[in-house]
Amino acid sequence: MTEVLRPAGHEVGAYFRFERWELPPPAGAEGPSGFAGRAPIDPHQRGPGGGLATGGLLTCIDSMGGLLCGLAVLPKWIVTGSLSVQVLRIRQVGPLGFHGRLLRQGRNSVVCSVDVVDEGDGGAPVAEAVVTCAVLDPGGMALDFVRPLTVPMPPPVPDPVGVEAFFGIEPGEGPVTRLQLDDRLRNPWGILHGGAVATLVDVAARRAAAGPDEGDLATTGVVVHYLSPLRVGPVEARCTLVGSRADGSVVRVALHDTGAADRLAALASVTVRAV
Amino acid sequence: MTAWNYPPDVHLLADLGVEIDADEERTAARIPVTPELLGPDGGVHAGVIATLVDIVGGVIAVRVLHPDWMATADMSLQVVRPATGPVLEAQGTVVRHGRTTLVLEVFVFDVPDDGEPVAWSTLTFAVLPRAADAPEPDDLPGLPRRSVFGPAQLAVHVLEAVSIADAGGAEGMTMPVGDYVRNTIGGLQGGVVALFAEVAGARAVAAALGTGRPSVAVELQVSYIALGRVGPMVARVRSVTADPTTGSGRGVVELRDAGADDRLTTVVAVGAVSA
Repeated sequence: MTEVLRPAGHEVGAYFRFERWELPPPAGAEGPSGFAGRAPIDPHQRGPGGGLATGGLLTCIDSMGGLLCGLAVLPKWIVTGSLSVQVLRIRQVGPLGFHGRLLRQGRNSVVCSVDVVDEGDGGAPVAEAVVTCAVLDPGGMALDFVRPLTVPMPPPVPDPVGVEAFFGIEPGEGPVTRLQLDDRLRNPWGILHGGAVATLVDVAARRAAAGPDEGDLATTGVVVHYLSPLRVGPVEARCTLVGSRADGSVVRVALHDTGAADRLAALASVTVRAV
Repeated sequence: MTAWNYPPDVHLLADLGVEIDADEERTAARIPVTPELLGPDGGVHAGVIATLVDIVGGVIAVRVLHPDWMATADMSLQVVRPATGPVLEAQGTVVRHGRTTLVLEVFVFDVPDDGEPVAWSTLTFAVLPRAADAPEPDDLPGLPRRSVFGPAQLAVHVLEAVSIADAGGAEGMTMPVGDYVRNTIGGLQGGVVALFAEVAGARAVAAALGTGRPSVAVELQVSYIALGRVGPMVARVRSVTADPTTGSGRGVVELRDAGADDRLTTVVAVGAVSA
């Protein structure tokens, strides 16, 4: 949700292009807004299964979920606590259509769902997600929105690079994958963008599960618990293969902020399968 | 009903024969594996494992959050091989203790074990501040370090014990909300919620695969939106996809409380494989 607070120059939001628009309740009716959105699948962002790289899918889901939950609790704001995504279709034509709705609004937390379909393939279901956010005091952050809120589609990225190159994700030793916490990957709060966290989780899990003779792997299920902000870096994704079964491998991914006393900042459960 | 006199004598947790050992260093819960708990692959139902996970998580949460209370907000469960026992043990640890949430991690082992887990879970509890006028609970020493519910005495299969009924088709499943399956605050116990969704999701995947063979749930992503209080609970499969090459599939199940204005209580993503 954070890129909408500072659209210009916020590079993660510009890289995974995503337009979205608020769907207010019908005139006279009370209730929270919904959200709809659309994301193209730019060629350099296609993942091993042929669809939008899972990191990009998670970034869009987190972005819509955060915006939906945040608008529901204004003048307070939110931070994502957990993200649960089921990928139902890894081959996608695109563009992808997104629809978000509020499921529960409590005093301390807000929960929404985001459904994703392939508009280029007759609206076939692509993913279903639940985003849980914690309500917080936004402090001095400006939260002055024109409602109903619309975030236009960013223009195509000039000189596009692949997902791993853009995020500066590099292999570490063994089942460890690293990310340098570059300033362009920070959100307006100064911490690593949630989309970068999700992309690192996706890339690290697939890399950890890939054997020497295996082909490409795709992510089919992800649960990310955001535990504390990533502020310093480099960030290490330390992976453990929990087990394998007919539908793929299960990887535990722990993200540590090595420059902040090696603090555990996120814990993720990822299911990957061969494509 | 509080944690101090829960569960009652006639309750699923008593019939499962749960044993709990808890201290500051380690918290574990065990059940004997009996034929009444097994699914079509010969392993313990994922929902029963989820019940054991929820118990060990709840015991940890009570200790850590005292004197506040908690509710399960989400649970992810990955079953990486059939759990056959003869005893099943869940061991839990705290990942993060925040102001509004508590995140735990639970590994589940067959006992005697070979060091490799049969299942892995992460779960989030929402912290519910104790009401100012609530009676002060006993000090923590009032919680016994060792608790035994039981003895294990399920006379019928667990799905029959909780009265999961299939009215026909993957979307026709119902389950009553009785005292036998309530939690400490009068709602449907979180593990039983997972069990109900597991069965509905696995049957939907089996139907989508169309081979005539049953499917077994191996992955659950449970988002608890509201408590099921009245019943009957109704399971509706929102979407399902199948992959014949691996004999697996994924689906999303919504649970609603038909007796409470069809209120949405839970969203569960289910991954399943052919037995």
